Amino acid sequence: MGLWENIMLAIAGLKANKMRSLLTMLGIIIGISSVITISTLGAIMESSVKGIFSSVGGANMVGFGIHMKEDAQRDYYLDEDFITFEMVDEVGEHFSEDIKALSLYSGSQQGTVTIRRKEYDAQVYGVNGGYMLTNSSPVVAGRNISDKDCDRGSTVCLISQGQAKKLYGSTRTAIGKSLTVLIQGRMFEFTVVGIYEYKLPAMLSSFIDLDSWNSEVYIPYTTYVRMLDASEDFYSFSVLTNEDVDADAFCREVTDYLNNSHYRDNDAIEVYYQTAQSQMDMISEILGVLSLAISVIAGISLLVGGIGVMNIMLVSVTERTREIGVRKALGAPNSAIRTQFVTESVIICLIGGTIGIVVGILMGNVAGLIIGTMAAPSIGSIFLAVGFSMAIGIFFGYYPANKAAKLDPIEALRYE
Amino acid sequence: MAGYMIDARHIIKRFYVGEPNELEILHGMDFKIPTGQFVSIVGQSGSGKSTLMNIIGALDRPTEGEYFLNGTNVGLANDKELSEIRNRHIGFVFQNFNLISRTSALKNVELPMMYAGVSAADRKRHALELLELVEMSDRASHMPNELSGGQKQRIAIARAMANDPAIILADEPTGALDSRTGRMVMDLFHKLHREQGKTIVLITHNGELAAETERIITISDGNIISDSLPPEAAQGAQSTQDKQEQAVQNEQTQETAAQGAQPRNEAEAVLSRKEVG
Repeated sequence: MGLWENIMLAIAGLKANKMRSLLTMLGIIIGISSVITISTLGAIMESSVKGIFSSVGGANMVGFGIHMKEDAQRDYYLDEDFITFEMVDEVGEHFSEDIKALSLYSGSQQGTVTIRRKEYDAQVYGVNGGYMLTNSSPVVAGRNISDKDCDRGSTVCLISQGQAKKLYGSTRTAIGKSLTVLIQGRMFEFTVVGIYEYKLPAMLSSFIDLDSWNSEVYIPYTTYVRMLDASEDFYSFSVLTNEDVDADAFCREVTDYLNNSHYRDNDAIEVYYQTAQSQMDMISEILGVLSLAISVIAGISLLVGGIGVMNIMLVSVTERTREIGVRKALGAPNSAIRTQFVTESVIICLIGGTIGIVVGILMGNVAGLIIGTMAAPSIGSIFLAVGFSMAIGIFFGYYPANKAAKLDPIEALRYE
Repeated sequence: MAGYMIDARHIIKRFYVGEPNELEILHGMDFKIPTGQFVSIVGQSGSGKSTLMNIIGALDRPTEGEYFLNGTNVGLANDKELSEIRNRHIGFVFQNFNLISRTSALKNVELPMMYAGVSAADRKRHALELLELVEMSDRASHMPNELSGGQKQRIAIARAMANDPAIILADEPTGALDSRTGRMVMDLFHKLHREQGKTIVLITHNGELAAETERIITISDGNIISDSLPPEAAQGAQSTQDKQEQAVQNEQTQETAAQGAQPRNEAEAVLSRKEVG
């Protein structure tokens, strides 16, 4: 009796009990679809991580900040703990050969832009020119915020292309126009000097209307500090290094320099750094934990699914005791009976596995939609899923099949 | 031994061997059935009839004694060999038909050939021939639940014939049928016996049906209590041979020709009968 005949026989058997077959497959479907979902998500994460790396900065973007030492004597920050502009300036000078841009950020405030009775909410950021360079929001028209703007505290601003079109008709006509912003109940007037291209984080791009999210206004950080009485000091700053610089070595040098020259006597605070790589590592660590959790779920549902398959196969063997007896009387050797039932179990698992793969790819891509990237799981993981379904079918199908094969033909024929 | 399809020598069957409730069902049966004989085994329920049938059908092995089927010592066969014996040498016909459900009449007939490893095309061709033989060609694609009892039994007989077995073993084949369809089934057996020279063993408790056969072996309490062969021994065997010679003339087939060497059987049949007595 050939394999093909066994397969047709198994499919006929499953068709006769459609609902039962489907319920039996459920565990396998859930298990395999979880595996494929993780695999799809993994592929999506990988491609979006690569995207981040290849975007502005990438591996050359590094950040410095302050945090509590492990043996800190207090758990609050003092004014003198913060990074001052002078410190940043020192770093800029000391490491000038390695640095392409220094990014500073004083803070941000919710404001209301009003112009010719049009009104909309906008977030106002106090930054320097380097911030625009490192933040993948390239200035596409006019000019960036200059060092001179920062030194003087000029009342200039950058707006997005979307805002420019909405307020002034086009990016070209927007340059040089004035913009009135209401912040904390006070009116401020700025001159538009540049237009930046707004790039949404990939994660959100497919869900959010671009217009509602591009209402960000950038002003020089000194202007921000002066107008809003904000702190002159920083929690952190970022650096875009030159491309040939080893980011890790650079970070260690800068951190050591700052800690030695400014935080040596500080009892609680020190400077630390973060590279794109270390952030990446953090993301993949989170992803790893997530994968592990889903893998455990997948493993459990595959186990439960497998036991379900075994259970149904045992029921099927009992139900078909008489048929088994007849087959034996007609000359079926034990091996043929065993093959018949193992095939049936494998077919259940393979169909379940196939449905699971399709569901998994769909679920992975629904998640991918949120993240903003579509991807297919690796071919390897599909083969693995198919192979694993077969293995479950054989493993959990063998016992019932063997039970069927070993039935005494006389007893089986007598079975009612 | 040639010429004897079934040669049973002092067959004893015990159940629960070695346990306190050990039970002896067959107490030592001796009988021989020559090739091409249509014989009935008659007995009330509990007589050991079913146990004997299981042994004849190679579904079970005797505890003691020897059972030769077509020259093969069935008692020495392992499970795999037993299934092969059942597949090649025995065609079962059951009281309740035992067609495989959700499987067409044609596929049911093909089943024994499938286990024998016959190619799909040959299987189908031969199965259709057999359905033709039992006059069920027009029901080939029907499922068992679409067939009447008589039709099912005819399909089952076609299935029993699939691998051209040495014997057809029919267990109360008309038991679940009304008298008219039962008659048709019996006529079919007579036809197979007459035209194809099949050895047929009919197990029944119905004396009327048994009377139609060439020989009646009656069993009770695990012993053969009568065998109709002795009184008409010569005639019985003679008539069998006559029929076979007729078949040779009709069909000119090799198998029936091979069964020509009958005379030796008579003596041995008488001999075996004496042992029983």
